[in-house]
Amino acid sequence: MFDKSTDSTPRERHYLDVAGVAKSFKGTAVMDQMHFRVAKGELVSLLGPSGCGKTTLLRIIAGLLDADTGNIVLDGRDVSSLPAHKRNISVVFQNYALFPHLTVAENVGFGLRARGMSTANVIEPVQEALALVRMDNFADRPVSALSGGQQQRVAVARALAVSPDLLLLDEPFSALDRKLRETMQIELKSLLRSRNITAIFVTHDQDEAMGVSDRIAVMNAGKIEQFADPSTLYARPASPFVMDFVGLSTRLAGRVTAQKDGIATVETTSGPLLAQCDFAAGTAVQIGVRPELITPTPSPEMNQITVQLDDVMTLGSKTVLHAAATSDTQFLCELSGIRNDFARGQTVTWGWNVEDTLIHAVPS
Amino acid sequence: MIARTNRIALLAVPGLVFLAVIYALPLALLLFKSIQSANGLTLASYVDFFADEFNRVVLWRTLRVALLTTLLALVIAYPTAFAMARAKGIWLTIFLIALVLPMSLGVIVKAFAWSILFRSNGFLNTTLQSLGITDEPVRMLFTETALIIGAANVFLPFMVLPIYAVIRQLHSSLPEAASSLGATPWFRFTRVTLPLTLPGVVAGSAFTFSLAISMYVIPSLIVGERQQTLSMLIARSFLYLRNESLGSTISAVLLVIAIFVVLFSSWLAGRLGARQ
Repeated sequence: MFDKSTDSTPRERHYLDVAGVAKSFKGTAVMDQMHFRVAKGELVSLLGPSGCGKTTLLRIIAGLLDADTGNIVLDGRDVSSLPAHKRNISVVFQNYALFPHLTVAENVGFGLRARGMSTANVIEPVQEALALVRMDNFADRPVSALSGGQQQRVAVARALAVSPDLLLLDEPFSALDRKLRETMQIELKSLLRSRNITAIFVTHDQDEAMGVSDRIAVMNAGKIEQFADPSTLYARPASPFVMDFVGLSTRLAGRVTAQKDGIATVETTSGPLLAQCDFAAGTAVQIGVRPELITPTPSPEMNQITVQLDDVMTLGSKTVLHAAATSDTQFLCELSGIRNDFARGQTVTWGWNVEDTLIHAVPS
Repeated sequence: MIARTNRIALLAVPGLVFLAVIYALPLALLLFKSIQSANGLTLASYVDFFADEFNRVVLWRTLRVALLTTLLALVIAYPTAFAMARAKGIWLTIFLIALVLPMSLGVIVKAFAWSILFRSNGFLNTTLQSLGITDEPVRMLFTETALIIGAANVFLPFMVLPIYAVIRQLHSSLPEAASSLGATPWFRFTRVTLPLTLPGVVAGSAFTFSLAISMYVIPSLIVGERQQTLSMLIARSFLYLRNESLGSTISAVLLVIAIFVVLFSSWLAGRLGARQ
């Protein structure tokens, strides 16, 4: 899906073009034949567990790490062989990397000074950049006097002050507490949108990735498993890994026993289930279903399972039911609002639409 | 009931008593001698000291040698400290051993080893002559240059270790952030790396300068009586001239310089630290 066959996509899809990048550390390949494209103004996330290569890819794009092979083209300009300081790609680091010996304004003006602008000439653009992140009253403070959220704002202002062609953000919200994180995500997203800035976020947090990006590249073991918009990723995960990593799901192993007109019958430990797919009889598969798509009042044409309720978690906006089938498989069902009609130990029949069944072939 | 912090402060008492008895008290007595005379207290010995041109030459030489030694050690130590800070595992161990082991060797062994290398019929001169680079042996020992090189060698660990400690703390994302903002390697070094490692440079320089200004064994062994330093004058006053007043006076001069260095460097380190 991400190989060179996509060369026919329109030009604007190629604003950033990472082509065939490979990297190994001490003989171990951490990334092989990476192909990755981003359009102008797009907000993209690299999502994956630690060690999946997302930070490596970010560092290679930034020029902070040399790829073994491959090309990086930014806005028609091959930057592969340029050092970081000639790429015009700004990075917001996980720890923000603010210069502790400089004031807020000096930090924000650093990039412009590095480009040869005089102290007098940077005053105005620095004020503008600080105003963007609502930090203009803090210009003369030392950065050590700032809170985490303020430091992040300064780091963003510093990165944007140089009008970068591309903005890279490495786990930019991970140092913030939950509430502040959400506020900053909304704030940053609208700022980047309003300035039509192309940005790549690196994160291991799926909520963050879903919240801030137009498209998400889910990475695993140095490869992109799926690169799609959040809804596709959630509704149509391309692999068991993506299904597992993005959102919650109940999973069942099984084997296709019959195939008729694109509907497969899958034998599982919880009985036969139907799924839309082209897999032939005999294929080993994994079935998945999202908790909010399960209903406790199934209609006859649905996939149905009989389970015993283990736990009822009332979370306010939703109620989460945990249940076990006859086997060890845990089922999750999410219902909106507070529900008092369920109790632990009840045996219930749940169901979901055949077309909501996620199915992937797995090595048998 | 003593507050908890005060009780912890009590832990400093043994150290303070030790310092007072072994350091402060004898030093105070010594300094008192420098202003004591038959007719009461006087600064005459100081006036005499600075009036003598020989003393001024020695004072100036001592300062010059200490300063140049510090500079030489700094030039060698700064890149070394960088390499050490980036070294890992066995390489770091090798670096540290290479740095610390020579300290246990003792200056006297080093000095005699140098003399084998640098004397008129030593290895270096024979090589130079056999290569035809020079006809006559070059005088290398007993020169100020030899003293500076030797002293810098001995004091190098005191310069490397503080700088190393500071660089080690420097998060690698800081120079990386500078690069990604468009800073050339030079701009990055002068505006980020150097300012952030200056506290280590100040500490290392203060150590090295204090050691170099008061060194006695190294100049005695390397340059001997030809080029005296303040410490050698002090020793001569006490040991040969039996002139306690003169010895105490020179000691006081040396002490004032040392105090100035310590105060200045703490002030500088504090100023640099405050911004961070």
